[in-house]
Amino acid sequence: MRIYKNINLHKVCAVLITGTILFSTSCKKSFLNVDPQGKQPAVTFWKTQQDAIDGVSSIYGNLRSWSNVGFNSLAVESLGGDDAEKGSSSNDASYLNAFNDFTVTSTDGQVSGFWEGQYQNVNLCNQVLDNVPAINMDPNLKARLLAEAKFVRAFAYFRLVRAFGAVPLRLNVPKTPAEFNLPRTPKEQVWAAIEKDLDDAAAVLPASYPAKDLGRVTKGAALSLRAKAAMYQKKWSEVLTLTNSVMTMGYSLFPNFDDLFRINNENNSESIFELQCEYNPGIKDASNSQYAQIQGIRTQAGYWGFNVPTQELVDAFETGDPRKEATILFVGTTTPQGDPITANPGDPSRYNHKAYVPFNTPYDNANPRGGQQNVRVLRYSEVLLMNAEAANELGNSTQAISSLELVRARARQGNPGILPKVVSTDQAVLRNAIYKERFVELAMESDRYFDVIRQGRAATVFGPRGWKTGKNEVWPIPNNEIELSANMLTQNPGY
Amino acid sequence: MKRIFTKFSVLTFLCFLFNYTAFAQNITVKGTVTDGGDKTTIPAVSVQVKGTTTGAQTDVNGNYSISAPANATLVFTYIGYTTQEVPVNNRTTINIVLASSAQQLDQVVVVGYGTQRKIDVTGSVATVKGEEISKQASVNPVSALQGKVAGVSISNNGAPGAAPLITIRGTGTVYGNTGVLYVVDGVWHDDISFLNPADIESISILKDASSLSIYGIRAANGVVLVTTTRGKKGDAIINYNGSVGVQSVTNAVKMANGTEYATAINEINASKTPPDAPLFKDPASFGKGTDWYGQILRNAMVNNHQLSISGGGEKTSYNFSLGYLNQDGIVERNNYKRYTARLANDFQVLKPLKVGYNVSGTASNSNDIPNSIFYQMYSAGPVVPVRYADGTYGDPNDFGLGGGANFNPQATLDFFNRKSKNYKVTGNVYAELNILKSLTFKTSIGGDFGQAEVRNYNQVYVATASQRNETSELGVDRTEDRNWIIENTLTYKNIFGDHNLTVLAGQTAQRRKSYTINALARNVPYSSEGDLYLALGDSDNRYINDSGVLTTAASYFGRVNYSFKDRYLLNASMRADGASQFFGGGELWGYFPSIGAGWVVTNEPFMKDQKVFSNLKLRGSWGKVGNAGVPVNPSTLVITQKGGYVAYFNGVSYTGKNIDTMVPTFLNWERSSGTDIGLEAGFLDNRLNIEADYYTKTTQQAIFEIPVLSSIGLGNSKQIGNQADFRNRGFEFVASWRDKTEGGLTYSISGNFGYNQNKVMKVVTGQNPVYSGGEGLANGSLPTRTMVGRPVGEFFGYQVAGIFQNKAEIASSAQTGAKPGDFKYIDTNGDGQISEKDRVPLGNPNPKFNYGLNTSFAYKNFDLAVDIQGVAGVDVYNANIGLRFGNENFTQDFFKNRWHGEGSSNTYPSTNVGSTENARPNSFYVESGAYIRLRNVQLGYTLPAGLLSKWKMQKVRVFANAQNAINLFGYKGFSPEVGKPTVGNYSPLRAGVDANVYPLYATYNLGVNVTF
Repeated sequence: MRIYKNINLHKVCAVLITGTILFSTSCKKSFLNVDPQGKQPAVTFWKTQQDAIDGVSSIYGNLRSWSNVGFNSLAVESLGGDDAEKGSSSNDASYLNAFNDFTVTSTDGQVSGFWEGQYQNVNLCNQVLDNVPAINMDPNLKARLLAEAKFVRAFAYFRLVRAFGAVPLRLNVPKTPAEFNLPRTPKEQVWAAIEKDLDDAAAVLPASYPAKDLGRVTKGAALSLRAKAAMYQKKWSEVLTLTNSVMTMGYSLFPNFDDLFRINNENNSESIFELQCEYNPGIKDASNSQYAQIQGIRTQAGYWGFNVPTQELVDAFETGDPRKEATILFVGTTTPQGDPITANPGDPSRYNHKAYVPFNTPYDNANPRGGQQNVRVLRYSEVLLMNAEAANELGNSTQAISSLELVRARARQGNPGILPKVVSTDQAVLRNAIYKERFVELAMESDRYFDVIRQGRAATVFGPRGWKTGKNEVWPIPNNEIELSANMLTQNPGY
Repeated sequence: MKRIFTKFSVLTFLCFLFNYTAFAQNITVKGTVTDGGDKTTIPAVSVQVKGTTTGAQTDVNGNYSISAPANATLVFTYIGYTTQEVPVNNRTTINIVLASSAQQLDQVVVVGYGTQRKIDVTGSVATVKGEEISKQASVNPVSALQGKVAGVSISNNGAPGAAPLITIRGTGTVYGNTGVLYVVDGVWHDDISFLNPADIESISILKDASSLSIYGIRAANGVVLVTTTRGKKGDAIINYNGSVGVQSVTNAVKMANGTEYATAINEINASKTPPDAPLFKDPASFGKGTDWYGQILRNAMVNNHQLSISGGGEKTSYNFSLGYLNQDGIVERNNYKRYTARLANDFQVLKPLKVGYNVSGTASNSNDIPNSIFYQMYSAGPVVPVRYADGTYGDPNDFGLGGGANFNPQATLDFFNRKSKNYKVTGNVYAELNILKSLTFKTSIGGDFGQAEVRNYNQVYVATASQRNETSELGVDRTEDRNWIIENTLTYKNIFGDHNLTVLAGQTAQRRKSYTINALARNVPYSSEGDLYLALGDSDNRYINDSGVLTTAASYFGRVNYSFKDRYLLNASMRADGASQFFGGGELWGYFPSIGAGWVVTNEPFMKDQKVFSNLKLRGSWGKVGNAGVPVNPSTLVITQKGGYVAYFNGVSYTGKNIDTMVPTFLNWERSSGTDIGLEAGFLDNRLNIEADYYTKTTQQAIFEIPVLSSIGLGNSKQIGNQADFRNRGFEFVASWRDKTEGGLTYSISGNFGYNQNKVMKVVTGQNPVYSGGEGLANGSLPTRTMVGRPVGEFFGYQVAGIFQNKAEIASSAQTGAKPGDFKYIDTNGDGQISEKDRVPLGNPNPKFNYGLNTSFAYKNFDLAVDIQGVAGVDVYNANIGLRFGNENFTQDFFKNRWHGEGSSNTYPSTNVGSTENARPNSFYVESGAYIRLRNVQLGYTLPAGLLSKWKMQKVRVFANAQNAINLFGYKGFSPEVGKPTVGNYSPLRAGVDANVYPLYATYNLGVNVTF
């Protein structure tokens, strides 16, 4: 008790109150100004060359996303075709059947996911195209990076216009309220924008890169996609010119059709554009391609077995065509890598061989299995087939036959007893031969559905499954998007 | 006193520091204090020599002993009773009868930054005493509030150590932090699972906006004030509480047995076009098969021990407690241990200066179980044995089960190895200075330091064909919380004749920082736990990541409480909060006023002669509250850098960055304003008390994540902003009766009832609904909808008219693609087809009615408490039925009632219930979530005092209790109490979706309370 007598009460008061006042005054704005934690403010971005490089890297990386290579894209771009059907076990994701029997409605999650995913690509490209020009950096590199972004933007719009027809065309990051809500741009203008982006890109992009840049888009890729865009518009002479020039760029068909799709043959001489995927568990979510996981063999842990070949595809191959086994993995067989393909009751009896990843390929439980499988987008054989189709449409059967034969010859793999050379010069006969060659050569590569529609044969080929002229040429515009646009967007007919 | 202190040297040291010498020429006065109403003795009554600081306290039997001058006056005070002053007049025995002031003048309640006499309160504040909480078997203090307070809705999550979900007066905010604010001795917390319920002195629940607005910044979802126990003057009291109990599954849902399962799966196969061959040739051969629930679940033990020592001298008081909880989960291997320690000391340093501190430490650790185990028990095929005769695991692949049932739950559990540890130190130091007689300054610094660690090891194993792991993985997640809060308040309290005035002015500042680091390495060996170091794994392909949150807030507040002649009450407060969340591009400061008025009618002269009311008070209040529980810097645009943006060129990874979000240019505080009108009345000498409240609370400019056009290409196509208004409106009614019969039975019965109506008043999307609830549900369907004019997150989908019996019926319907046994949906818009336009509201997940009935009885040495609790007017979406990927099991109810051929059922569909059309959100899956339960029953017996004195004990009470022993509900799932989901984050936009299948269990305890 005594010790406290020396303490002066007034001193105690003074200390407490002074402390409080000092503290209160320190609580000015600076105390409340807290920096974002672990997040870089956007105002610091788009200043340096590295920012430009990182921005373009994000564009490439995003092409592996779920909506770009997963359910969304497989539903919208593959399941409608007669080469593919849902697969997996019957109840699992049974909503995907709607793409096979054409009962898709405007509230379908795959349609809206695909739409959103492609516009995510568009946004990433627009951010680069809007912001990189002002960066003070190596002008050649800048031009190339912008060209790469233009290619991917064109690729996204190509996928959108093919799936939906007219879509809102965004060529800039929206800034004003008027730019947010855009109506659908007529599809001719969308095609024109795609062509312009690809022309711009082709003018700048190199034909090839040093090894360290392997996987970036090339001039050949821009020209090939440009040709494909022209083909969808039946601009046959453009297709012919463009494919002719790609055919002089040094691409060649990979000798073995089966090996073409294996991981160790990625980016080979036939590859024009493929999505670069890796197994890289040191970075979270960077091994995120689910392309192979979704389509893999169900008896293997982590594989789901969707998007499987149909009986129609089995029947489409000519007798002895080695591409049949290279495209379709039949249950009960063993792969060249020695993996036995088995099934439990209820499992599919066929799988997409082109998405097959040998079982001993490294994986873990934290990442999708088969995440290292690149997705082949444009192959040289497609350029040859576009060339053949264009030449035939323009009446040049000689060139058509010659380009077609290059594809068939590779498929033959030196076996003279199979896949005889197509010799007919009759335009209609040749046209059907080319159509059929496209079917089997590019089966399970997300082209068949749109090819048949483009060729005007969908009512015949898909009609029995419910495809209706005047409606099913395109998928519905997502209903949620129409609601959010306050009906600025209109629905496709029939939905 | 000395006897005790020699045992506890730490306390001895602390107390001797501030010890004192008593007066010399005194006499010893002894006596007993009893309750004037029920004649029971009252422990812990403060006995003080008037005009001095000498004091004592009654023991558990109401006895006191104090040394006082023969001519002194003794003052007897106890919360809830009228204070009495008695002259000693040379007497050595003075027995006192205290008049209960329950619900009356002197009852004190804890409110924000202070206490108030109950009579002066003009808002709605409910108080639950510590003893009521510790009488429950709940190991979480929040769970113990279930059914105790009108308007408070609590949903428990069955997992040991998990926090329950608490909603006060309805869902008012849906984004960011939707939880209530807990203030424990002035320190702010989001969760109080770390608290030992036995350490709680009282809990105040601030319900109405005027009581809440003094906590402006974080008050929108309600505030729960927790006061922990502190020492009182008098001899040391040592108290031991121990219980041991067992938790046992109740209301278990029966699953289909082996034969039934095989039959059902064969029916699924037969329903396909073209039909698949039956998977099982002879379903009858499987018999009962494996009961996976029986296999994995167990009767689990729970042990709870608490030891506390408290007491105080003239100038000091202390309270020290230790707690130990060891709770097994009802799932094998699941275990939770919690160790708690608390120390509180108060020192009267100088006559006007008091300082003190209060610190508590908690350590808990658990052996975790995989979240998927509940889903797996539900889904696993009963045809699969746990193990084969050779000891290997039963493999679903051997039975061809495939998708949906491709696991052996026992194997899942056996190879799961995750441990969680939590450490927390929290507390505060304070100084209280009486500057003038009526002016008190108080300063308090509080801290909260926590560390949470999760260690997950996925070992290499082969259990079944698909349950295997070839590469081991060790994951370590560590989160640190470092929070501090400083409070300074100045309180002026004075009485001028008939005017009673209290003025409070205060200032607080706080900083909250949380930092998480995650790391993962592969190929880590395991011969013992000692191997589990990241360093022992592969040096390449390691994964490391971190994240953090930092917020600061500065606040100023003031309050005036005024009463005139204890008849007319006026309370007003104002708070200003600055929150870092809103710095730059936001409204930095939010202002939260409140006002309340009351009229104590019974204190009017004209009421003097009436005999009906012993108390009658009318009150009304209005206030504003805010919610800063939003993401940090919501209006600062940031760069997105993520793994998905990493590019590969030539197999090498390159960082990808871009901008894929949109932020509002300006963000306002989310504010609610609420009005409360209440009536409190006491009858029959306050034996009967009622309290009724009507309230309305509107959340304006709620921060809400709304979908934006996905063609803008944002990463998640959503943007937050002030974009919705919600309203909760309702009333609450509490009635309690308390009496003692001639025969010596003391009893009380208290019932509470709350009604709440929740409605969305405005959304910027206009009539466009916001759908949610798809997480964890099959087929990505979204069963909830939030839109104007409807409750938040109501269930929405197709209305089932019946089941298609045959093809002819289908052909003449709008669903030509259906199969017999499918749901027949109502074409509500009559357009001849079934489309999304036919969806209708199906139910409301926000409970309309909450009620509780709490009773207690005491007769001689026996005491009994029986609590009943329930909810009504609520729906649950049973997502487990339609969540099918393949060959999952069915409940026996579903199997027995399923459609299997024409005429077999017009309510339950066929086993093909998981098909796209059948799994769409529809009325079949929505069931009433109403329940009523025997929440708590406790029977106690206190040993006779004579026996105890021999053992030098003051009190020994043995008890048995049961929690959730009886639960009545019609819901066909496991429990209608759908709390937080086991997977994913909780959001009010998707409440009430049962994809948990966490079984309900009851707890039975035997225990003892011993006081020395």
